[in-house]
Amino acid sequence: MAFTSKVRLLRILSSLFMNQCRHRGMRLCRADAGNSKAFVCSYHGWAYDIAGKLVDVPFEDRAYGKVDKEQWSPIKVPCLDTYKGLIFGCWDEQVPPLEEHLGGMKWYMDLMFDRVEGGTEAVGGVHKWVIDCNWKFAAEQFCSDMYHAPFSHISPVIAAMPPGADPSQAAWPMEGRQFSDPNGHGTGFFLNAPGFLQALLGEEVATYYEETSRPEAIARLGEIRGAQMDGSHMTVFPSLSFLPAINTLRAWHPRGPNQIEVWALTIVDKKAPASVKDAYRKAVLRTFSAGGILEQDDGENWTEIQKILRGHKARQTLFNAQMGIDNDRHDDPDLPGKTNYVYSEMAARGFYGRWQEMMMAESWADLSCGGVSDDSIKGEADNA
Amino acid sequence: MLKLIPSRAASAQEPTSPELQQEIEQFLYREAMMLDNREFDDWYALLADDIHYYMPTRYTRGKREMDKELSLLDEAALFDEDKASIGLRLRRLTTGMAWAEEPPSRTRHMISNVQIHTTDVDGEYEIECCFMVYRNRLERQTDIFVGARRDILRRSDNAEGWMLARRLMVLDQSTLLSNNLSVFF
Ligand code: FES
Ligand SMILES: [Fe+2]
Repeated sequence: MAFTSKVRLLRILSSLFMNQCRHRGMRLCRADAGNSKAFVCSYHGWAYDIAGKLVDVPFEDRAYGKVDKEQWSPIKVPCLDTYKGLIFGCWDEQVPPLEEHLGGMKWYMDLMFDRVEGGTEAVGGVHKWVIDCNWKFAAEQFCSDMYHAPFSHISPVIAAMPPGADPSQAAWPMEGRQFSDPNGHGTGFFLNAPGFLQALLGEEVATYYEETSRPEAIARLGEIRGAQMDGSHMTVFPSLSFLPAINTLRAWHPRGPNQIEVWALTIVDKKAPASVKDAYRKAVLRTFSAGGILEQDDGENWTEIQKILRGHKARQTLFNAQMGIDNDRHDDPDLPGKTNYVYSEMAARGFYGRWQEMMMAESWADLSCGGVSDDSIKGEADNA
Repeated sequence: MLKLIPSRAASAQEPTSPELQQEIEQFLYREAMMLDNREFDDWYALLADDIHYYMPTRYTRGKREMDKELSLLDEAALFDEDKASIGLRLRRLTTGMAWAEEPPSRTRHMISNVQIHTTDVDGEYEIECCFMVYRNRLERQTDIFVGARRDILRRSDNAEGWMLARRLMVLDQSTLLSNNLSVFF
């Protein structure tokens, strides 16, 4: 669907409603996709139009007299906004505007969503799978954890080396920075690590990225984002993550404290040729999906952590999150906001700090914009 | 379900013999056993150079839209592999650092409902069958994958007498219920 303007898009989105009947709470639509003129509840037959308005109640006259159709329509998502083609919704009417929530993260998100004229689109279809872990492991990893990549994900790198090569020579880039936003977002990236994408996603994707996308990105975004940043990971607080350049996007849907349902999409530049889009589609499913040769190992790690945490003693263990604790900087000449070395846990501290603060706050007004300071976390670490 | 994936079966089917049925079933069982025994090099040697190994994703759709139940070829798939990408997956397992399979899973491939269709290509048959793959790993993680396959088997002078030239798979899950998909089908 082509949207002529943000205003029009928001008008269409204004009909987004909870998939739940207002009579006894039955799931109204049980298909993943399809065409329908109305949603008729399978339980007692209350019928809603596609904009989510209750339009028919069986036996209304005799059984009810009158049902107020406005009042008994499904609940709507009260806060909706978009950023560069991404749609954000929130059930809480008091939530600060999206603009404010994204804050300093937008500058980094543009690395993926504003590289070239025309923006991005999603490849059709969604990878959905279930991991028995808490949603925060997944969100934290994409927010802050470049550190796991050279170890968790070394096997595909070794496998891709030429025959006879020495596996101990499989090297990961060592130069890069991490960013932490006061609202809990985070990202990390290598600087000047060419060849990274080709090794992961193959020649066709890499050639498009280097020869078509990169020059335009330099012109639009400038030298540091366009020419130098590579291999980013990224989380928009709380549960939306991306890998720019690799172009996977995923929402980590919590399914209780011990389970998530991952919904992952592949993102491509709208104007990229069809063959490049297809090369991206294949490359992403082979690397970052349930069966992807990089992502498989994350599922193993997260489920095992979660299983151990069921133990009474195990869940009281204090974990080490001190990496880079004294190295926060606010004066990087090229990078806005608070930054640190690429292999650090600053953004994880920011993520968990923000989460903790939200759990403790009574209201939005109570929430400082800025999360928990590193100093208070450091205090706890010192005491331990 | 496999109706949705294009078939190469000839429009006029030649009769097939019980001997051929026996021979093909025995091949499929040996091939499944290679995967369960982790004889991945032997299994890889059975793959034709032009193999397409493909498992689409599935949508829950209403009855009127049953023809749209599988993802399209240009959409997200669980596997969309050629010989080189399968080779990379297998080489990864040999590193000892492919954590999703280190320690390796215990798998059992069960193959049933084998139907043989003749094709217009000499020495090539299209085989439909059902599979159930049981995976158990570490202390108690258990996953069960059930679905259907449509293979192209090609006569060969290798020790097994056959090569696998195509494998199309449909899994009977829309949301994948496992924490990863690190086994082969
Ligand atoms: S629950 Fe929907 S009509 Fe009763
Ligand atoms: Fe990872």
